[in-house]
Amino acid sequence: MSTRTGVDSALLTRTVSRRAVLGAAALTPVAAFLAACSSTGSGSSATASAKLTGQLNIYTWPDYFSKDDLAAYAKKYGVTPKISTYTDSNTLFTKLNSAAGAGYDIVVPSSGWVKQIAGKGLLEELDLDRLNLKNLDQSLLNRNYDPHNKYTIPKDWGLLGVVYDPDATGGEIKTWQDFFDAGAKPAVSGRIRMTSAAEETVGPALWVQGKDWNTKNLDDIKGTEDFLTGFAKHVKTFSAFDANAMASGAIVLAQANQAYARNAILLNPKLKWVVPGPTSELWVDSFAIAKNAPDIERAYQFLRYQLTPTVQVNETVFLGYPASLKGLKDKLPSNVKESDLIFGGPDVDLDKLTSFVVDPETYPTFQDVQNKVQAAAGA
Amino acid sequence: MRRNTGDHVLAAVPLAWLAVLFLVPLGFTLVYSFGTSGFGSVTLGFSLDNYAQALGPLYLQTFLRTLAFAVGTSIACLLFAYPVAYAIARRSGRFTVVAFALILVPYLASLLIRVMSWQILLAQGGPLERILRAVGLLRSPLTVLDSLPAVVIGTLAVYLPIAVIALTVVLDRIPPEVVEASQDLGARPSSTFWTVIVPLSRPGVATAALLTTVPMLGELVIPVLLGGNKGLFLAQAISTQYAQSQNYALGSAMVVLLVIAVGVIVALLVRLTRGFDAAGAERGAG
Repeated sequence: MSTRTGVDSALLTRTVSRRAVLGAAALTPVAAFLAACSSTGSGSSATASAKLTGQLNIYTWPDYFSKDDLAAYAKKYGVTPKISTYTDSNTLFTKLNSAAGAGYDIVVPSSGWVKQIAGKGLLEELDLDRLNLKNLDQSLLNRNYDPHNKYTIPKDWGLLGVVYDPDATGGEIKTWQDFFDAGAKPAVSGRIRMTSAAEETVGPALWVQGKDWNTKNLDDIKGTEDFLTGFAKHVKTFSAFDANAMASGAIVLAQANQAYARNAILLNPKLKWVVPGPTSELWVDSFAIAKNAPDIERAYQFLRYQLTPTVQVNETVFLGYPASLKGLKDKLPSNVKESDLIFGGPDVDLDKLTSFVVDPETYPTFQDVQNKVQAAAGA
Repeated sequence: MRRNTGDHVLAAVPLAWLAVLFLVPLGFTLVYSFGTSGFGSVTLGFSLDNYAQALGPLYLQTFLRTLAFAVGTSIACLLFAYPVAYAIARRSGRFTVVAFALILVPYLASLLIRVMSWQILLAQGGPLERILRAVGLLRSPLTVLDSLPAVVIGTLAVYLPIAVIALTVVLDRIPPEVVEASQDLGARPSSTFWTVIVPLSRPGVATAALLTTVPMLGELVIPVLLGGNKGLFLAQAISTQYAQSQNYALGSAMVVLLVIAVGVIVALLVRLTRGFDAAGAERGAG
């Protein structure tokens, strides 16, 4: 049953696995999907006996820590971290919110869900004096989803952008308006991939109007419905990003994060990537310590280890998403292909990007719009 | 008396199993469906709001669309399965086991693997496109993936073995004497087929219809992987309420309505299966 739940969840979210393997031009969604499934199946039983067994229990996305780094940590401190996995933030929220969520030391919530999870009292307040945040990219700290980093510190981050074939779109894409305009062109219509994450569908339609996607105004959110359901007929798929479909030309315009885009561009170098204006999404997957963690000391020890510069570089190379170290770009090994893209390209200004924060008052309305858009796309 | 006690104990084990793993969760779902939802929580009470919402235009349309998909695809599945089952039951002779194995072996693979195989087969630039181009049946790229036809193709492939097996069992049980009698009385093979075999296989048709329609109503994986997650199906709508909107109460109301719909379908098909015992009894007597 847990496998089935994981599978279903994976199908419905934008990310099958957050990890995009470096240079993994051959990584098909199939492989990623199977990896996600098997990890979920095998790793769903953390125990609460960390103190007795010398374990550290981590609940995270599949394939989200470099095995070499974990092995090095185990060797140094004599503790082998036990990893359990989820395939979307909703599952993390639901599980921590239930009796089954006991016994974890470290969890890795995405920025959008931090407020909800912390708000339910499910995370420990961090003692920032015990962690050295000075080496981290300051743009990733003190953001709207967790002011003053009360509960979380950044692990790695990603962007919502667009990868496209300029021959099909007939020109450059610079803004979300360009994205929607290009989508309606005959050479592009029916060859578009959008995400199934409601905020990433509704968000761009709000940004085009100069509105904030963290709005409390339900009318603003509902106001995107007519436009988006009208646009839906151009969309081919809301399923997981498929680099091969972009290589074959089945998809010529796609919402994607930078790691997925990088995979597609490694397969088909004529594709282009952009983080459209006026703004777009920055998501930050974050380290947090679960409330009543069995071994808080060890959790801090693990976080300090993760924040060391060598580990930060290793994790970035392994994940294809940047860790949070300041000046990381210059520290990557020279054999990493398209390394600029790991950071979203040369022109990305993190301060201009915005992070979504799940709000129980508005989130169901986002979902309603998403449902209607997906329904309209298949009508 | 003692034997009866033993029987009861034996029956109690699966009943307890069923009660704990099926009825209790279903009971929770029923109770939740009348509650008021918070974000990831339910306040118990008695409200029909969830049902009003579940029967609103979007979800009602989704339900009807899913029903049409399930019934239509199930009928197509039966049309494909019937000749195969007929051949296995009445024409395969000593190769019956081999024929069964050929049908069953793919069925033993995980559903995901089978559906993803279709994703690869149907992809633009994939094997099917290359074959169709090679034989001159296709000039433009194959764009069937991420569409309703791809969902139907995948669903047919996944559910065909179940339908074949259900039909084969019943076709195999039709006494040869009945067919011989029909022929002795001068019926042509086609009349024998339509007036003797088809009516006697009715229970198999009903069973196959039941075993395909009901799971198709709850199908989630195939529309997402082969249909591009477009055109909402009921299972996706329900899953969204639980997983994304964290609205367990509305999700529960939708589940209750689905269970009722399935109950109605089962009741209709059970009426059709009444002939089952008669066919078996005739053979036993013969």
